[in-house]
Amino acid sequence: MTAGPVVAARGLVKRYRLAEQDVEALRGVSLDIAAGDYVAICGPSGCGKSTLLQLLGGIDQPTAGDVTIDGVSLAGLGDRALTRLRLTRIGFVFQRFHLLPVLTARENVELPMAEAGVPAAERRQRAHELLAYVGLGAREGHRATQLSGGEMQRVAIARALANRPALVLADEPTGELDAATGRQIMALFRRLHDDGTTLVVVTHDDRLAAEARRVVRMLDGGIAGIEVKC
Amino acid sequence: MTPFALGARNLGRHPFRTLLSILGIAVAAAMLLDMVMLAGGIETSFAKLLGGRGFQVRLSPKGTLPFDSEATIPGASAVLTALRQDPAVAQAGPILGLALHAPRRTAAGADTLVTLFGYGLDPAAQGIYALASGADIALGDTLGVLLSPPAAGRLGARVGDTLVLQGRLDPQVAVSAAERRLVVRGMGEFLYDYRGQPSVALPLPVAQALAGQAGADEVSVVMVRIADDAAVAAATARLRERLPAVQVSSIADLVVQFRARLTYFRQLSLILGSISLAVTVLLVGTLLTITVNERLPEIATLRAIGLSRGHIVAQVVIEGAALTLLGGAAGVALGLVTGQCLDRILTSFPGLPAAVSFFVAEPRSIAVAAATLLAAGTLAGAWPAWLAARAPIAGTLRAEAT
Amino acid sequence: MRTSFVAAGLVLAAALASGPRAAAQVAPAAVPPPIEVAVERRLARALGLAVGDTLRVRPSPAHPGRLARVAAIHEPRTDPAVVMRRDLRLRLHLPDLAELLGAPDRVDRFGIGLGAGVPPADGARAIDRAAFGFRAFPSDEIARESSATFKVVSRFHRAIAVISVVASAIFLLCVMLLKVEERRLDAAVMRFVGVRRRTVFGALLLEAAAIAAVGAVVGTGLAVAAAWAVNAYYQRFFETQLLFALVTPGVVGFSVALSLALGLAAGAIAAWRLASTPPLVLWRRG
Repeated sequence: MTAGPVVAARGLVKRYRLAEQDVEALRGVSLDIAAGDYVAICGPSGCGKSTLLQLLGGIDQPTAGDVTIDGVSLAGLGDRALTRLRLTRIGFVFQRFHLLPVLTARENVELPMAEAGVPAAERRQRAHELLAYVGLGAREGHRATQLSGGEMQRVAIARALANRPALVLADEPTGELDAATGRQIMALFRRLHDDGTTLVVVTHDDRLAAEARRVVRMLDGGIAGIEVKC
Repeated sequence: MTPFALGARNLGRHPFRTLLSILGIAVAAAMLLDMVMLAGGIETSFAKLLGGRGFQVRLSPKGTLPFDSEATIPGASAVLTALRQDPAVAQAGPILGLALHAPRRTAAGADTLVTLFGYGLDPAAQGIYALASGADIALGDTLGVLLSPPAAGRLGARVGDTLVLQGRLDPQVAVSAAERRLVVRGMGEFLYDYRGQPSVALPLPVAQALAGQAGADEVSVVMVRIADDAAVAAATARLRERLPAVQVSSIADLVVQFRARLTYFRQLSLILGSISLAVTVLLVGTLLTITVNERLPEIATLRAIGLSRGHIVAQVVIEGAALTLLGGAAGVALGLVTGQCLDRILTSFPGLPAAVSFFVAEPRSIAVAAATLLAAGTLAGAWPAWLAARAPIAGTLRAEAT
Repeated sequence: MRTSFVAAGLVLAAALASGPRAAAQVAPAAVPPPIEVAVERRLARALGLAVGDTLRVRPSPAHPGRLARVAAIHEPRTDPAVVMRRDLRLRLHLPDLAELLGAPDRVDRFGIGLGAGVPPADGARAIDRAAFGFRAFPSDEIARESSATFKVVSRFHRAIAVISVVASAIFLLCVMLLKVEERRLDAAVMRFVGVRRRTVFGALLLEAAAIAAVGAVVGTGLAVAAAWAVNAYYQRFFETQLLFALVTPGVVGFSVALSLALGLAAGAIAAWRLASTPPLVLWRRG
């Protein structure tokens, strides 16, 4: 593990074309995230928070600027290397869960481990442990379609943790959930942070943002302010 | 979770859709199998028929195929002598084909003439019939005759009965110039007869007399058995040189001739087979393209969590291959059934030997059809797989969120 | 007799390498004058013959034969029954052929023209009664009997057509289901805002009908092009003017009607499935 930040973003700019219009989603954003940090990125719709998350995770490439993860710049990496990075160093949690409906909860969690070449017995054991960790030990044999929204999101979190990532990025993880279920997810994130996981969460939800140690407020493609909790 | 397992599992997402696709592929596969069977079936069947009794070479009048015309080979004795002098020739069997008539009294008491197809032959060297019941015509027996079941049926004759065979019927006065009383020695399965053909086999001299050719020394065909199968080609070439006035054909030559006459069916089988493959490719390709489009957000997520492009491509291609495999398996079974139905239609061609089939189910045909179909179905997944692998992760997730 | 005639033609084709060279070997003046023959175009091309050339015609290789002069090169009338055999034909005057074959005063058949207004069946019956030992047939009965081969081919084609229609129907249903399924969110929203199931069904059915109609028109165009290609190829291959594929108004009408019916049926099934699914289920599926 490097001494510097886990993720460092410098002067990120992102422009893209959407419905025949040019959109400048980010206008020069710089941000460091240290190991063990819990960062919430908030802001109104269209402020660029999801775009920032995608750039930090190597899902997208900036128009200008650079992102480094554990000291490695993403700029020079090809698709294969970026994919490997996402598989082994980063975990993603999405608003709409995106579990594979044809797989069981356990199989969904095993999927990244299988891709990483983890032997079957080992990944089965780890999947079992992760599902127990997120409180779904009794549901591991159920198909994703048989789970509630909150349960699906917990499986998605377990999947994100499968390959012991350095960083977990979550995009509106409670966006599709009711308040009670959302609180359960927030508690889970709190537990992850307490256990040392580095978290970056994009959210509209002020209560979820309040859980974070740092809140990055974005507006019109730039950082309007950063609040740090003591 | 391997791409293979995921690809196969994905078929279970929309069972009705998958079932319908499998059905569609099954019908296309059945058609493909039938066309592969048709492409080589008739030749395989014909070659098997020709070689069934061990006679690898046939002599017929120059420029004709055996029994293709009423022409005859003159100087048959000299031809047979020349054949028997060839060290490679084990047996030479002359045959004279002729129309014969047999008077019969119907149940109502009316006199009628039954027309029969006669084979005058040497019973010791013949490849025309297989004895089914009774006794064969013995060497030197000039009173014996063998009947095919249709002939026996039309004549109401059984083994041991005596019947009158007439040749050289004058149609103007309905009187024959030659007549013989012969005893039915046995019943034979005539290998080259069409369905229902009423045939009789009798000694060659008797047939020649009935044909008005006593002493004329003519035959329609000579069947030749070469002692060593490996020497057939060389023997055929040698006989062609020695007997330039006669058409010498090996089984391979006859199959080539036969193939030329059935070019239409071979070409049809190629066209319809290609169309079947195209339908399979279209069906699999369309289904996969639409399902990939439906699953783009899911695919983008998989890419986001670290699954490689290769994994995505493999998943989609395997889905196509799995569909094709399932459809193909059902199609093989269906194709064997439809092949039988189509064969029943085509083998009703007038004059076609009953033993010949157009659709012959050989393991090789099935393997060729299955392999071709699987290759096509797998390739059909290539384009949607490429689409899936190339989908931009961020753009897809963005589009889904809006 | 006819087949011997054909055999003679084939013997001719096999035995004569070049007409002009045979002409150069013409016997001295004592030899009977050449008979006149008419050679079909393909035979003339195969042997390099022209009008006026001389050749020797034999019923069998051992026969001395007769010298013949090419009086005409003709295009035989197209006979579907023999097109695949690719026989090469030679026409002789009947007495010349009879003499060559050593069978004078013998023919295979007579062609009889009846007087105006005489039904062929009646004519045949009258001949049968009068001419003992003959059998007379009206020409259409002969045509029916000798069409047995083509009836088999027709039945075969019909069977293939049935299989093709079944495959197409399944394919159509599959594609319609997929296309309609793509519209599930639209259908769900329509139902949410109060549009009746019947209206949703009707809209989807109309779309299916439009696709079926366009497909039928495009398919007809493809069929016409394919028929042209088939005829062009096989006419060249068999050297004949026969038509192998014929797209008639009846065929077009039947095909269009069938494809419209199948398309509508497939669309109706797909549309009914979607319209009868509860909108919330459709929404969640999306």
